[in-house]
Amino acid sequence: MNEWRRSVPSDAAQLPVLTQFLQEFWSAASLPSAQAMSFELALEEIFMNVVMHSSSVTGAPHIEVSLVLAGGAVVLTIEDDGAEFDPLTLPQPNLEASLGERPIGGLGVFLVRQLMDTVSYQRLGATNRLRMSKHVERLREGTSQGATGPIAK
Amino acid sequence: MKVKFETLDRTTLVVPEGRLDFGAAAEFQKQIERAIAGEGATPAVLIIDCAALDYVSSAGLRVFLLAARAAQRAGIGFALCALQPAVREIFDLSGFSRIMTVHPDRSSALAHTPPGPV
Repeated sequence: MNEWRRSVPSDAAQLPVLTQFLQEFWSAASLPSAQAMSFELALEEIFMNVVMHSSSVTGAPHIEVSLVLAGGAVVLTIEDDGAEFDPLTLPQPNLEASLGERPIGGLGVFLVRQLMDTVSYQRLGATNRLRMSKHVERLREGTSQGATGPIAK
Repeated sequence: MKVKFETLDRTTLVVPEGRLDFGAAAEFQKQIERAIAGEGATPAVLIIDCAALDYVSSAGLRVFLLAARAAQRAGIGFALCALQPAVREIFDLSGFSRIMTVHPDRSSALAHTPPGPV
């Protein structure tokens, strides 16, 4: 199955578009829906991070999402052309804090790191690239439907 | 996401259905705040029944955290119940299942959530 790509502006209103893109990839690749949530969450958290961090200083960047099935793993790559920002440098949340002391926020990237097998950041020229992968079990081996998915670019 | 409300005596049950993502979080937060304030009488217990909640992200966790704190401030008994396995995993990873009371099902939540001192 070929790589799927989708480009959207950095706008929270695009989240449903990306979620649907991921779900279409998931069913075209015959992947079990029980394993989709980790990727839906990774996509939402990283996408929303870019949206939140893309200040008006540099203008709203474009975000490109790609999905590919490689060696038994789904690889999700999210690139944006906004200001340099490595989400992996964000501090870890304090999981031991009590209900009253627990800070609001800071969990998104932490959850992504917990749920994915690998997460890596690269700054390439003017692009932030976050690549995430996780092993998945396919429903039936060898039922790839080829490039039947939407090629939106 | 759809949210249903049920009232049993002085217990309010909040039943979110579908996906609690960034897009749904703000409205869900308002609905929880209204449920805690009460329409007429303040509830003694608030239970969020997650049996039909398919997905939660950090934006959704934030609403649960704010709800638990608001209930604590208002002196209302608060618990969650019936988390689906994928949602339960997110609660466990984030440490939320330690700071909030999570029951396996609705009947256990109804039986074991003490009312607040209202």
